[in-house]
Order: sequence, then structure tokens, then C-alpha cells
Amino acid sequence: MDLSQYAELFLAESREHLSACNQLLLEWERHPAGLTPVSGLFRAVHTVKGMAATMGYARVTDLAHRMENLLDVQRRGAHPATDELLQLLFRARDALERAVELSVVGRERELDVAAIVADLEQAAARMAPARPGERPVPSPEPTEPEPEAAGRLVQVTLRPEAPLKGGRAVLVLKRAQALGAVHAVTPPVTAFEADEFDGRFSFRLDATAAAEQIEAALKAAGDVAHVTVGGAEAGGPAPEPGATPGDAGAVGGGPSRHIRVDLRRLDGLMDLIGELITVRGRLNQLAAERRDPAVDDVAIQVSRLSSDLQAEILQARMTPVWQVFDRFPRLVRDVARELGKQVAFRVEGKEIELDRAILDELGDPLMHLLRNAVDHGIEPPAERRRRGKPPEGEVVLTAQRERASVTITVADDGRGVDRRKILERAQREGVVDAHADALTDEQLLRVLARPGFSTAEAVTSVSGRGVGIDVAMTRIRALGGTIEIRSELGKGTTFVLRLPVTLAIVRAIMASVGPERYALPLTYVAETVEFGAVTTTMVEGREAIVLRDHVVPLVHLRRLLGVTSDRAPARAPIIVLELGDRRAGVVVDGMLGQQEIVVKGFDAPQGTLPVFSGATIMGDGVPALILDAAGLV
Amino acid sequence: MSDAGVVRLLVFRVGGLLCAAEAERVREILPRLATTRIPGAPPAVAGLVNVRGTLVTVVEGWRALRQPEPPASNGTQGGTTVLLEVGAGRKVLGFTVDEVVDLLAADAAALERRAALPGVDPTLVRAVGRRAGQLFVVLDTDALLTPILSS
Amino acid sequence: MSHTVLVCDDAIFMRTMISDILAQAGFEIVGEAETGSQAVEKYKQLRPDLVTMDIVMPDMGGIDAVREIVKHDPDAKILMCSAMGQQALVVEAIQAGAKDFVVKPFQPSRVLEAVQRVLG
Repeated sequence: MDLSQYAELFLAESREHLSACNQLLLEWERHPAGLTPVSGLFRAVHTVKGMAATMGYARVTDLAHRMENLLDVQRRGAHPATDELLQLLFRARDALERAVELSVVGRERELDVAAIVADLEQAAARMAPARPGERPVPSPEPTEPEPEAAGRLVQVTLRPEAPLKGGRAVLVLKRAQALGAVHAVTPPVTAFEADEFDGRFSFRLDATAAAEQIEAALKAAGDVAHVTVGGAEAGGPAPEPGATPGDAGAVGGGPSRHIRVDLRRLDGLMDLIGELITVRGRLNQLAAERRDPAVDDVAIQVSRLSSDLQAEILQARMTPVWQVFDRFPRLVRDVARELGKQVAFRVEGKEIELDRAILDELGDPLMHLLRNAVDHGIEPPAERRRRGKPPEGEVVLTAQRERASVTITVADDGRGVDRRKILERAQREGVVDAHADALTDEQLLRVLARPGFSTAEAVTSVSGRGVGIDVAMTRIRALGGTIEIRSELGKGTTFVLRLPVTLAIVRAIMASVGPERYALPLTYVAETVEFGAVTTTMVEGREAIVLRDHVVPLVHLRRLLGVTSDRAPARAPIIVLELGDRRAGVVVDGMLGQQEIVVKGFDAPQGTLPVFSGATIMGDGVPALILDAAGLV
Repeated sequence: MSDAGVVRLLVFRVGGLLCAAEAERVREILPRLATTRIPGAPPAVAGLVNVRGTLVTVVEGWRALRQPEPPASNGTQGGTTVLLEVGAGRKVLGFTVDEVVDLLAADAAALERRAALPGVDPTLVRAVGRRAGQLFVVLDTDALLTPILSS
Repeated sequence: MSHTVLVCDDAIFMRTMISDILAQAGFEIVGEAETGSQAVEKYKQLRPDLVTMDIVMPDMGGIDAVREIVKHDPDAKILMCSAMGQQALVVEAIQAGAKDFVVKPFQPSRVLEAVQRVLG
């Protein structure tokens, strides 16, 4: 049968089990004496093994099999986990993960599992109780049954290729019991459970049926090569089993099941609904021009239907954050271990949902922030004790739903940021005014987010050079989100990420600049004013307007974007953007109205100004870039 | 270039230059599409186009290959966009050409591994071939286009 | 009337594959269960002609599920789905009342043979 169609399912499900393995191993590591995680681990590995065997992925199967074996030995012996065992299992899990990923893309051969397989075997051998002698192997020639037992002697030989011969033998015995009393089973039934059982056995059957009947009945148990009844060989080839069931009724149907949908399908649907919404905009425009009630009617219906459809698809894309968060406990543990720190890691709000595309993008920034928290935030145990803190630090990752956004926080109870130190450095590098005597949270973040800015005394291998906040910040902004920092010296640091729940569709103001069009998401638009209707002034060398006692610096898009064609209008509109307590007035040529836009990513070529968060496709099918408020204010 | 004898090539013209790209890297051939400028991008980048709902960055062929501007190139008129898969990640980029000339199967051995044809940066040339008596350069599209995509 | 089947396995992958094999052979998949207790519950509710039962499942394992189902319906036709190396468990399952077994990786022909035997 064609197995390729199952490969994606195999991958998705194996990943889930491997992720579960991580959680279980971590739990086990925290409570080494407990055995509860072992059965979960056993089950997960066992499932992966079964699937891999079905797919024909030999290395995955082999590796999973060895792990399963080791876990089984461990479980039976009820040994508490040693650190060595846990490290081996972590390593084996990682190898299994690689094996799974490589197998699916047909590169299984690249993986060398010999070393880890050997380690697993050794560990299992060490742990297994010295085999209590050789188990009394059942006599292979059951030729001497008790002569005094009643009934005819029946000898059965199973097909050599039959799997799990013991199970088959029991089925044969059951069929025999349906005919009459069965005695003197040789070897005894307990021997059927041994792997060494070779498929030859005999018994006495006290039944009136004819030899042919007995033979046929027993052969119907399947995988039977020969049956001899009453000493007379009544063999011959087993009857050909019917290959297909008789009635070919309706296929499938019936029960509702959850199905897995490939993300690309969802993206494809999203693209289509995006185009539909674009066309809907065009239809509404035409309807407005026509002033025909019938056309209006249709346009309204199309609007409603496409909105419903859009909502459904957006809902289908919603994914609980645990799908990404679940890999973090392991990450935090590994980092803490490497750095010799003690960290308790908690995750809250696992069930909160986000658009799958946003969630996928969130993994890396969160990884950066968590590494940072352990590396730069949490102090080594000795230092914590000196400061009167418990030696074990705490890192908490929380997801929370707030109206149209999701807030994700990464909080540590570590040393916090030393603002004085950073202020000095920031002044030296000219990042802030030389006269500034304190850094606000916001300034602090801006300083920390400068590429390569690091205050770590030692550059560690964990976070590398620079804190990586710049990377995290860029990603979060590209998703239309914001990031904030709160930090108190000696008490800890918290990063607050605010993200839209769905990425795909936002309301935006369309603005023209020369012959070009740009979209500005409405989320950050505070108001619009007309250039010339307000007085401009110069503040700290920058052109600004004063709005209700607030100084709002101006950004001329023409200049910023290098639009040179024709002249700027005399009374240009200013779109005031607001992001936290920062503002900017964006001067454009004209406003083209509001509309819903579908946000799409694009591969920005080198040198692209860092003021775009994506692009969208307009009603006429031509792309327009989306301006990023965070890049402008 | 594959060692297995035959290489399929898409031959096209950019200005006075006859070039080719490995057909295996060609995703699609489209007419010239309405393009949106990307501020800050290098001059060789024409901008962003909409390919059935997906945004694709397009590189202006004549600029990338330092050919004179074709007379017909007044924005959206004329020309052809070839969608190419670039780099190990096989990102899709558009590349504008004046016209697509041919799709041919060339004997790999017949392609000269010569990296020189007057007027072309030798680092962008993988080989030189001949079609109907005319020389063409097989472009190293990765070398030509990856530097334009940011890291 | 085609035979109805309840497919029990904790892996969607396995359920999908077994369902595909059986559906292609004309069986009607009327339900799926991913734990032993779900299997018992769905058996009572659906009364399928055939049950395929994985051995290792969370919550309640396949063997306990066989016991429960047989207690409820001594004529239940249950086909165990086992892996290599589960000899002892298979023996236990049969003694608990399972009618036959197949071994992973599944070959469609072997699965269908076993199903034929179970349905007799």
C-alpha cells in the first residue's frame, strides 16, 4: 500500500509524542522516585515505534524499541531514576526526534544511531536482574505426552513466519476447546508467553469429531502449517483465506472525526479568503457607484457571507499556545543545567489560543527571552543565598487573553537590570542624552534592544553576544505586536509581549505618497489632522506639532521613503500614531479611506527600510506595503 | 549542474545578452506584472508583485546584468517575468527578461565550463552554450540573486 | 449490509491506517476510540460487528477494555492490534476474550484475513 500519504500524519503525531516525552522526562527528573511518568513515556515511545514500523522506518523503529525496552526493564524493576539514566533517555529522545524528522524526508540513512543504541542496550542490561538461570525452555519435541491422558493426541505446528506464535497457539487451543476437553498441553501454556516458543505444541483432545473436522477447525485459527490428529498426519496446505470480505458496502461515512489539516491548506484558504475580501471591497465600490438596490442587496449578502467565512477560517487556525510552549521546560532545564543554576519553571495559560502563524513565529523570540532570563536574570544559587533569596530561581511564562490581544509575559525573580550601569554605558555610546539621570522602562528597552548591546559581565555560550532582545523585538513587531520591559534591581525582570490574536486581517488607513499607496493599521492610529491646520515647531532639532500640549514629532513619508515624483500638496494630512506613550505624526500626501486588509509577509530584499511590517494586496490586485507603527514613532 | 548528461535550460534574452537558467529552478513564466516599489531595496529590485495572492520580489533583469535599459521598459509594458527558485531554501524570486527564447535540453558535456563572455561578470556564469550558432551564458542564478535577498 | 467496525487506538496515525484498510475492503467504520474506557463506552453505544483494539492505550489499556466489553457482551468480536514483543500481552488478551490478533506493522492482507476469521 502507498504509505507516503501517511507520512505527514506520522510526523505530526510523532512530534506530539516526542514533546510529551520531554515533559514526562522533566517531571521524572524533578521526582526521580516516582514511577508515574514512566508508563506515559513507555506508551509514547511504544506508539512511535508502532507507527515507524508501519512506515518502514527501520532506524526509528530500532531506536524506539531499545528505549521501550530500557523503560520496560526500569519499570518492572521499579528502579528510581538515576541522573545517568535520565540523561541517557533525554539523549535518546533527541536522537529519536532527529531520526523521525530525517526519516520523513527520506534521509534516514544519514543518521547514525549505533552509539545511542549501544548505550541503551548496556543500560538495560545493567538494570535487568541477572536472568534467573535460563528459563526452562520448553522441550521442542512434544513427542512424549502423558500416555494416560484421555482423548486423541493432537500435534500442531505453526507456520515458521507466523508472528507472536504463543498468541496463535492460544487461539488454536481455544478452537480445540470448542470441540471438546483439552488436556496435557505440551509445552505448558505459560511457555507460550516466552519469545523462544517455536510454534510446535501438542495436546490431548477428548472430542467425538472426525480427524478432518478437528484439523479444519484448528487450521481456521490461522497461521497453522500442520495438524496431526491421533498420530496420523492430517496435513496439507492451509486453506486459502478469503482475501476480501464479501459485501462491498458504502465506504467511510458516519462518525464525525477530528481531522488534522496541513498548515499549508489553512494558509491557502487564508489566501483565498483574502482575495475574496479584496474582491468584496471592489464589489462594494461598484455597488456604491451603481446605486442599484438589487446590486446593493447582493453586495451586502456577499459581505456578510464572506465575513462569516473569514471568521470560521480564522477560528480553524487558532492553536493553543502549549503547542509551542511545551518545548520550553526542556530548554530552560538544559540552559540552567549548563550554567549551574537552579530554576523552577512554570507555564500558565497553556490553553490560550493564537493564530497558528503568529504562534509559529513566537517560538524563537520566546526562546531568546527565556534563555536571557536564565542566563542574565537568575543568579547562581550561592549569590541568591547571599541576597537572602531561595537558591532556586523562578521563571514564569504566562499567556493571557485580553479582548483582541494576547499578552505573553516572561518573568524571572533574578537580579534585575542595573539601570545605572546601563545608563552610563548608554550615555557613553550616545544612545541617550548625556544629561539624563534615569532610564524609563521604555528607554531601557530601547537601549537593550540595540543590536549587540550587552551588559552581561561574561559573554556566555547560552545567550551569545548581545542579549538577542533586538531579534525578539523585530520579530514581535513584524507580527504587529509590542514588547515592554519591567525591571527592578534585585527583584527581577519581566518582558510583556502583546500580540494580535489573529494576524491575518486588520483594518487600515490607506494613504497616498506621490504615486504610491501605503497601509497604516488602525490599531495605532490615534487621529488625523491636516498639515497647515496646526502649527509646526522645532523640538530638539526635529520638526514637530503640538497637539493638546503633547509634542508630536513629524515623519515626512515622502522624505523617508524617497518619493521624488511631483510635489507634496500644500495641506497634507498628518496621521498621528500612538504606541504606548510614544507618538509620531506621519505626513502623507492624501488619504484613500479605510479598509480591511489581509496582512501578508514578503521576503524583504537587502536594504529594505525597517518600517514595514508586511504587505497587502489591494482591490486592483497590486501589492501595497504596510507601515509599521513601531518603526515610525 | 547535474552530471547526468542532459541539462534542461530555459533560454531568454536580456538586453543584448542571450542567457539561460536551469529549467529545474524555473517555477513559472508570467507576463510582466504591476510592481510596487520597495523603499530602500537595491536598484536592481523592481519591487513586489502579486502572484495569485502570494507576494514575490522581482529583480529587474537588465539592471542585475548591467545591460542597457530596454526601450520598451516603461514600467508595466512588455517583457516577461520568470519565477526562479533561489538558494538552498528555494525562495521564489521574479526575474524580468525581454523575452523567453527557448526551452532546450543541452548535453552537459557540450556546455563549455568557460566563465567568460564579454560583458558578463564571470562570477555569475556557470557555463557557456551554443544555440543556433549563437552563444549563451548559463547563469548562476543563486550567485546573481541571493545577495539581493537579505539574510 | 456491510459490517460495522469500532477502531480503538491512541494514535490517530494507526486509526487512520486501520480505518483506511477496512473501509477500502467495504467495512463501515462507525466509531473510533483513543482510550480503553472510550472503547468500552462506544462499544455499548454502537454495538459494532467488529472491534479493533490496540493493547497499549492511556487511561484504560486494551486488555482491560476487552474484559469490560466481553463482560457486557460475551459474543463481542475483538481483534487485537499488537506489536512485536507483546507475546505475553497477546496471550493475556486472548484469554480475556479477544478473538484474534494482528501484529504491527500491518499488512492489509493479514489484517483482512484476521478480520475474516473473527467474523467467521
